[in-house]
Amino acid sequence: MQIASAYIRGKSHLMFGLCILFTTVILALLGMVSGYLISLGYKSVDLALFTQLPVPAGASGFPGGLQNGIVGSIIMIALASLIGIPIGMLTGIYLAEYSSRAWLAGPVRFIADVLTGVPSIVVGILGYELLVVPLGTYNGWAGAAALAFIMIPLVARTTEEMLLLVPRGYREASVALGATKARTILRVIVPAAFGSVITGIVLAIARVAGETAPLLFTALGSRFLESNPSRPFPSLTVQIYHAAMEPYKEENRKAWAGILVLLALIFVLNVTVRLTMRASGYGARAAR
Amino acid sequence: MSAVSGTLQSPMQSPSLPGDGGRLPQGGASIVQQGGAESRADMLFALLTRGAAVFVLIMLSALVVVLVTAAMPSISAFKIHFLTSSSWRPNEREVVKRDAQGNIVRDTDGEEVTVTLPPEFGALPVIYGTVVSSSIALFVAVPLSIGASLFIVRIGPRIGVLLGPVSFLIEFLAAIPSIAYGIWGLFVVAPFLQDHLEPALNAIAGKVFFLRIFHTDQGLTGRDMLCAGLILAVMILPIITSLGRDVLRGVPRVQIEGSLALGATWWQSCQVMLRYGRTGLFGAIMLGLARAAGETMAVAMVIGNANRISSSPFAPAQTMSSLLANEFAEANSNIQRSALVEVALILLVMSLLFNVVARYLIVGRSARPAV
Amino acid sequence: MRIQSLLAAAGLAFVLGSAAHADVRLQGGGATFPAPIYQRWVTEYQKAHPDVKIDYQAIGSGGGIKGITDKTFDWAGSDAPMSKKELQAAGGAEKIVEIPTVAGAVVLAYNLPGFNGELKLDGPILADIYLGQIKKWNDPRIAALNGGAALPDLAITTVHRTDGSGTNYIFTNYLSTQSETFKNKIGAGKQVEWPTGTGGPQNAGVTQIVQTTHGALGYVELAYALENKIPFATLKNRDGHFVKASAESVSMAGEGALNQMSHGLAVNIWDQHGEKAYPISSFTYIIVYKDLDYLRDQDKARALTDFLRWATSEGETLAPSLDYAPLSAGVQKKVASAINSLTWSGHPVATASR
Repeated sequence: MQIASAYIRGKSHLMFGLCILFTTVILALLGMVSGYLISLGYKSVDLALFTQLPVPAGASGFPGGLQNGIVGSIIMIALASLIGIPIGMLTGIYLAEYSSRAWLAGPVRFIADVLTGVPSIVVGILGYELLVVPLGTYNGWAGAAALAFIMIPLVARTTEEMLLLVPRGYREASVALGATKARTILRVIVPAAFGSVITGIVLAIARVAGETAPLLFTALGSRFLESNPSRPFPSLTVQIYHAAMEPYKEENRKAWAGILVLLALIFVLNVTVRLTMRASGYGARAAR
Repeated sequence: MSAVSGTLQSPMQSPSLPGDGGRLPQGGASIVQQGGAESRADMLFALLTRGAAVFVLIMLSALVVVLVTAAMPSISAFKIHFLTSSSWRPNEREVVKRDAQGNIVRDTDGEEVTVTLPPEFGALPVIYGTVVSSSIALFVAVPLSIGASLFIVRIGPRIGVLLGPVSFLIEFLAAIPSIAYGIWGLFVVAPFLQDHLEPALNAIAGKVFFLRIFHTDQGLTGRDMLCAGLILAVMILPIITSLGRDVLRGVPRVQIEGSLALGATWWQSCQVMLRYGRTGLFGAIMLGLARAAGETMAVAMVIGNANRISSSPFAPAQTMSSLLANEFAEANSNIQRSALVEVALILLVMSLLFNVVARYLIVGRSARPAV
Repeated sequence: MRIQSLLAAAGLAFVLGSAAHADVRLQGGGATFPAPIYQRWVTEYQKAHPDVKIDYQAIGSGGGIKGITDKTFDWAGSDAPMSKKELQAAGGAEKIVEIPTVAGAVVLAYNLPGFNGELKLDGPILADIYLGQIKKWNDPRIAALNGGAALPDLAITTVHRTDGSGTNYIFTNYLSTQSETFKNKIGAGKQVEWPTGTGGPQNAGVTQIVQTTHGALGYVELAYALENKIPFATLKNRDGHFVKASAESVSMAGEGALNQMSHGLAVNIWDQHGEKAYPISSFTYIIVYKDLDYLRDQDKARALTDFLRWATSEGETLAPSLDYAPLSAGVQKKVASAINSLTWSGHPVATASR
């Protein structure tokens, strides 16, 4: 039964078409952005990127590679994870398992959500004031701490989510068998949710791997291969930023190659995570 | 990038164990007697988790306290003027002293007397820049995102196989780091704007009467408010799309079916959905806005770095975050650094506000936000 | 179990990392104006002294001065001498030593598609361009200076520095000598408030914007324009001659400098008399504290002193190849005695070279 007029029906068709169009536009944008970055990058990637240190203009061997940045980023992400994952997971456990008796849980949950929205450059300023000024030098600890600051709320919330998905029966059964709460959590609940908890952690690492702003004035950067985080510390993202802003085409090419490496890493992490989630079968969650 | 988002209805309540708090039921006939060491370990663990939770509280407090302390010199020096002044001058300036009539004051030798103006900082241009670039981003992104959300929720299920990949791809957009967008913007979008789009748009704006406010006499560089706004739009598309999708999924089927039973067209039933979920959608948009306002690297690379207010989107500008990225590393006087921290404080307050309001709007509909 | 092995691996990495600590590390940073020659010096010096690792972070003169004040840098590069306030913040003028290293030129690089001639500009026109009063390339004043040449009808996009910059300091000081209006409206400094134009970070950032923007005009150090093959303007100097920037014309500008160095080594050489003197020339300085005990390691003090000595004597021969003007013999002597005055906890730094 056609109640609506031709105009209204036409409008409906138009809107239908627009929705399809808009979705296509979004996907096309994705294709454009990644396609451009990949095409630029793969022409510029070579072994030198991973094996050579950057060489400034005018010196022989210009432009060199990004080796110290890649290593530096790995070290800082590892340090950040060492701090961020335990604290994040413990907070997530607290929110999931201990919150029924605690007045603290509500505010902490709210604040963890709020903290995920803090602009990363502001986190960098916090890192500068707290860890660079007192130590008297730009250093890798401050960079790692800023990254950890970003990781903790993310890990906390996803851990909580995943733990809550574990059926209640697990906990009751565990207690019925005489286990203490800590044992229950550590030996039963967390392992049951392990796959998806790791998912959350990997996503947080992927997020933090791409961060540039918080490292700009905490770790600053260095020309050398650094292993001591108490000194200015190189990172891949900051090096890409500087190389992109240089007028020399060789430096720009280095930036494109670096971006490709970064994107490849993030893509691999994301895909792995989604495949794992699908495999562990957590239903509706897997679709995200 | 959003963390794994939960369904908006949590399937379970917080589980509670009998005899909670890590202690064994008192005086009960436990089947198994636990030793003292076990219950101590239990208490220790509970303490650890509580400590971690408290640490999160400390994180936020530290953020606020440290920023406010570092911004204090600037706050006390400039007060409300900071929010209304357009002047960002880190250097001292010697100006010729003039008397009440505007004549130059001279000393006994006939030399002009100069007055040294101290540095002056005002955040109005960067607040303007943040607001306008985010607005452009929303203007472009919201229609696209809502359209895509409707597609995923209403059209996609009919083409089942498409649904997963489409969602995944849109989320991969969210995973691309800011600096990658910056490089795309710098090497693709800015030259395109400079060479092709902006000359045409600027010429049109110059000729049409009510668009003249958008016209600029300055040279077109492609690195301006428009470029930043467009890049930001691409960056916030995934957030608004996925949140919008979640919100629309939460609309009860009854509403949709009911409207269809009454003879509504497809679009009319969509309108019902949108109206039902308007609070959540508004929250999703606000989260997109918060993300756009806080975005740094992509904006710093394409916005033109000019601390000035201009009515034209084709003129270079500066946002709060790009100002920090550009100037903080070598702010060479304490007052400048303090002024920059004050800008960071304003940025923090702004994005926290948006985040809190947005979550309230989204959560108000269902149990858990989890973004 | 996994965590234990992770911690062990981390610990091992740290131990190995710190075992390589036998090297002497010197961290410098600051001006981008001399960055090409400083990078060259650092590389050459390291060839001769492989256990001395010197890093120079080109972040701008403002960053350099801040770094040396906070002692986050061991040595700083700056084209702008420290102001009274900055000297106070560092503990007083008598605690600081500013050593000129080379002289360079600030040139006006431009991007004028379709114009293949040599652009001529002068101080007052430059000032008016940067004040926003001259808006287009085909302005009659510019055309007149260029013999009526047909310049494109294109808006001038002025490019300036966004960071705390010695190059900016030099340029604004020069413009302040050329235009009262400029001096009163904008003034001189490492970071000023520009009424128009677009900004970029460091010399490299400005160069990049000029490279990619049609109609752009930006002030950069000579090496950046030459390296990137960007045309730059010939300027009219104080005596009315049009001079192109080069190591020779900068040296000409620096000729009278020695006479002004009685009160300290920080001397201005812009807007000088001389037929071949380039008008926007300037020294650039390395800044250290007089007493090097802030380095906390006497090896570092010796290495730094030795490096400074090498750079301002043998290193000067490398300057012309990168289009910087080396210090004249007289200035080099003054610089040498300044370096000799550096102390370690009050005693002269041992001159034993590594």
